[in-house]
Amino acid sequence: MPLDSAATTVLSFSPLMYNLYTDCPMPIYVLSANQISLQQPLSQDWMHDPVLPTEPFTRSIDPDYRPYVSPIEARRMGKLLKRALATSIQTLRDTGIEHPDAIITGTGLGSVESTEAFLLDMCRNGEQLLKPTHFMQSTHNTIGSLVAIQTKSHGYNATYSHKQISFECALYDAWLQMRTSAINNALVLGQDATTPNYYHLFNLVGYDGPEMKCTCGEASVATMLATSVPEGQTPLCQLRGVSLMHTPDNRRVAAALERMQVPADVVVLAGYNGLAANDVMYDRLLADVLSQAQVLHYKQLFGESYSASALGFYAAAHWIGSGQYRQILLMTIDRSGDVALTLLEK
Amino acid sequence: MNIEELKNQIIDALNLEDLKPEDIDNDAPLFGEGLGLDSIDALELIVLMEKYYGIKLQNPAEGKQIFKSVNCMAEYIDAHRTK
Repeated sequence: MPLDSAATTVLSFSPLMYNLYTDCPMPIYVLSANQISLQQPLSQDWMHDPVLPTEPFTRSIDPDYRPYVSPIEARRMGKLLKRALATSIQTLRDTGIEHPDAIITGTGLGSVESTEAFLLDMCRNGEQLLKPTHFMQSTHNTIGSLVAIQTKSHGYNATYSHKQISFECALYDAWLQMRTSAINNALVLGQDATTPNYYHLFNLVGYDGPEMKCTCGEASVATMLATSVPEGQTPLCQLRGVSLMHTPDNRRVAAALERMQVPADVVVLAGYNGLAANDVMYDRLLADVLSQAQVLHYKQLFGESYSASALGFYAAAHWIGSGQYRQILLMTIDRSGDVALTLLEK
Repeated sequence: MNIEELKNQIIDALNLEDLKPEDIDNDAPLFGEGLGLDSIDALELIVLMEKYYGIKLQNPAEGKQIFKSVNCMAEYIDAHRTK
């Protein structure tokens, strides 16, 4: 066989020709999604009676954790770990899936409160007398590990940390594994806390500031994705696709939207926060590739943080689940220009 | 040795937020039964002894006796403290 023909044959069966967004018949459902944020925790009260933040920095409202973890077990856990555990356990209870095939976490800063405490101890005590608990919890993957240990889930466990698109990285991993039949369900987490110290640093580097039109917040989200719906349950929506792009030009984003079969008049849930440096990236991209779209904002409701887009996903899933929208495209643009697109549909 | 102060240091180091000093029996076992502490708590107690009393535990085998109860801890601290 001539070399050219062989190459043609190989290419015609190449995975590159296979469109994971449209050619795979397997649906992926969002069975449940829960949040702890500045809104009432573990509830959808924000849909009819939202908390309206008035301060530039607003911490999450913590629920009573005793239904999720005993006080003796919780005593060593920082706030973020307790929030991760409560959102995860509630999501597992909602779906009846006790041990998911995968637990995949997205977090920008990990357990930053423990990291700060550990580093401050190092500075104050000359790198001596360091508390083992703060050391153990100062890694990013403590969150997913703790959820796995507490729920006795021994499947795939991974953590992604990529600033504002950390959650979408976790979502993409789950979506790909389900599309390729490697797993049937996944608990996907978006978890970030913000400390007063870190809020101060955000201001110094211009990630926050007086012109920001939303508060700096915190985000804890857990969602269950599955390729089938357990008997007697109604999914919130379907996850039609996730696309991640490293500093793409607009043409590349347009091509991704085409592959995902996103209609021109789609409802876009965008990460506007009022900061010019952030918002101009959305303005330019939307004007070029989705000029007919209806654009919604969510950070005024939930605040800005590295896992804010997880709350965007959560809100979109519940808006679709409640029948307010049929389809929503969640758009996240990282300050470095990376773009994440997530398409949810009834 | 001020037992009350030691109990407060233990409560703080181990995040035993729901406990008050008077809830901790001076002679009750710290590990297993009693407070139900575990091996990570033992590490926290070792850091506590060095931080507040300048005691560096060289022999881990000693820990079992030292951390038997609050009274045992207090006795050991009285005998070995450097600050």
